[in-house]
Amino acid sequence: MPRPSRRPPGSPPHWPRHAIMIVVSFLMLIPFYWVVKTSLTGENIYAYPPRIVPVDPHLFNYVDVWYMIPFARYLLNSVIVTAMAIAGSLLFNVAAGYALTKHFPGRRWVVMLLLSCMLIPFQATIIPAYLITSWLGVLDTWLGVALPLLSTIICIFVFKASFEAVPPSLIDAARVDGLSEWRIVTRILLPLSKSAIATNVILTFIWSWNAFLWPLIAIRTPEMQTLPLGLARFLSVMEDTTGALYAFVVLVLIPGLAIFLMAQKEFIRGLTSGATKG
Amino acid sequence: MTWRALTHRFVAVPLALVAVVVAWNVYIAFNDHGVIEGEVRDRAGAPVAGATVIFFERNFVYYEEKQRATTDAQGVYRFTDMKTHVGQLEARTADGRKSERRQLRLWFRSQDTEVPPLVVEPPRA
Amino acid sequence: MSWFRRKRTREAALVVCFLLPSLAIFFLYRILPLGWNAWLSVHAWSPLKAAQFIGLEHYEEMLLDDDVFWQALANTLIFIACSPLAIAAALGIALLVNSDLRGAAVYRTIVFLSYPLMTVAVGIIWRWLYDERGGFINYVLRSSRLIDQPVKFLQSFDWALPCVILADFWQVLGFYMIILLTGLQSIPQHLYEAARVDGVPASARFLRITLPLLRPSIFLCIVVGILNSFTSFDLIYVMTNGGPGHATELLITYIYKAGFGQTRFDYAAALTVVQFLLLVVLTVIANRLSGGNAGSLER
Repeated sequence: MPRPSRRPPGSPPHWPRHAIMIVVSFLMLIPFYWVVKTSLTGENIYAYPPRIVPVDPHLFNYVDVWYMIPFARYLLNSVIVTAMAIAGSLLFNVAAGYALTKHFPGRRWVVMLLLSCMLIPFQATIIPAYLITSWLGVLDTWLGVALPLLSTIICIFVFKASFEAVPPSLIDAARVDGLSEWRIVTRILLPLSKSAIATNVILTFIWSWNAFLWPLIAIRTPEMQTLPLGLARFLSVMEDTTGALYAFVVLVLIPGLAIFLMAQKEFIRGLTSGATKG
Repeated sequence: MTWRALTHRFVAVPLALVAVVVAWNVYIAFNDHGVIEGEVRDRAGAPVAGATVIFFERNFVYYEEKQRATTDAQGVYRFTDMKTHVGQLEARTADGRKSERRQLRLWFRSQDTEVPPLVVEPPRA
Repeated sequence: MSWFRRKRTREAALVVCFLLPSLAIFFLYRILPLGWNAWLSVHAWSPLKAAQFIGLEHYEEMLLDDDVFWQALANTLIFIACSPLAIAAALGIALLVNSDLRGAAVYRTIVFLSYPLMTVAVGIIWRWLYDERGGFINYVLRSSRLIDQPVKFLQSFDWALPCVILADFWQVLGFYMIILLTGLQSIPQHLYEAARVDGVPASARFLRITLPLLRPSIFLCIVVGILNSFTSFDLIYVMTNGGPGHATELLITYIYKAGFGQTRFDYAAALTVVQFLLLVVLTVIANRLSGGNAGSLER
């Protein structure tokens, strides 16, 4: 949040810093502009020199994407996988986070185990993960794609911290009232942990929506492909001969960008809490 | 759950999206008979009867002929059931006059469209 | 007493029930694969053939006969070695944005904007920027007369790897910046004020206060940079697919190709073990270099 910008006397002026940041912002935004421009332009995208402003812009590249590839099917697959991952990870992470607030023998070991698991990047497990998923018989299904994301260690700790911040007297009062443990979680703890929920939803959304390597391995049939796979496949089929590819790119980027811009605060807090915890 | 929850951005934005999608699909459902119609005229602006209008459909990178129609006495042609969203139209007459190829891009497959008049001109020498 | 014990067993049952699904997933997708990789790497195995113990033969092949492995290893190390450049740039931006600058939040958002995007799409965007006909970079270089002929960046043996690394920088820069900003904001402000009162120059304030107190955050950035060599698979796959030749092959793309291109799961597992060890060794070294203060990781 912008702090009052009254600079103390004797400190250097602001404009050089603004100048640098404007240049940096400009450099960061060029790729976005270039792809949006290409997706809108009506001329041959390979014409040289390329025009900075799109020539007779139109939206028909977006119409082409819809019909050139089974866009709706990719979208459906992506949405279902993401919804499963979000629902599953919320349920499992809340449960695990709540269990970790209890004092039970071996709790330290479980925490250590989770922390060391966090150091194993998923990419380093792809070969056995493929074999395990095929052994479970869920290869090439929505569940199989969502399965590794159904529980995320970072979010477990986010929930644990959030639950521990709730005054114990509140929980004891509820227990005296005869609420079951699950009711305590859903009625008392969760309404007080909105930001933890937002963190979980957003992180899982981003991971699942953007996942490429795992779906590439776990999905075999074209009907089950998610959007990133569809994008890679479209690229290999069309070898970027058309502006429609870039329209596809823009369409795929919009949800991630929209979620980020709507929930920037929760998003950044989620990522940094994830990062600072390992 | 109160009505105020509806104004929260996480609720309002998806709801707005759903509303747009539903409205768009309703519009499509009423306008997808695949009717493409228009008029053929000569240079003077008079309707040309009996001209052949050819619809070329895009096939990835090139266009191939898909369907033909003939203009009636008022110079009006009409394609029905065109299940496509991109193509080209060209009018030809029996005496060798031709129109330009008109690029046709539609917002959705088999959108009902009225094409601006095609003007036939005598071939250049 | 029996009531107390019943409560204890009920609570134990609750803990087990609540923890079990998560632990099962971590067991299936983190711990078991780690062991399975190690097991596979010392066996000759394929889906159609029974496993046969062959000792370290895969590692021998890798180290002695496999040029692609060495190239992939070198590229991975270059990839990791370049991340301090991005971290330094991110530190500069973080320092600028952290100050009492009006509109700092806007700059922060813009710099961070590329991080949450789908990496496959980022790869396609950058592939297009590098394109020799419609690409922005060739256009700028040609119109400023730095080059006469368009350069096929991604098809060039010299340029492909730096180009991919630059695209990766663009995506992760914002993440480094956020980590460093969090670190900067946790530095107590009174330290600076005391130093200023004592007349310590700005450069010394930076070297004596900011950098030492920022060490955990920098360490975290380095770990992210190391992990990034794993997660850049998507980018490489779309931009060059390891080409031209193997000029942009990383270990992770080579693992994928060995495992799912040539169906040599056992060999791919051996490669994975090597990369995992590399990751652990590099993390430990980074931890030492940043003063052995991995507190933020273990806390």
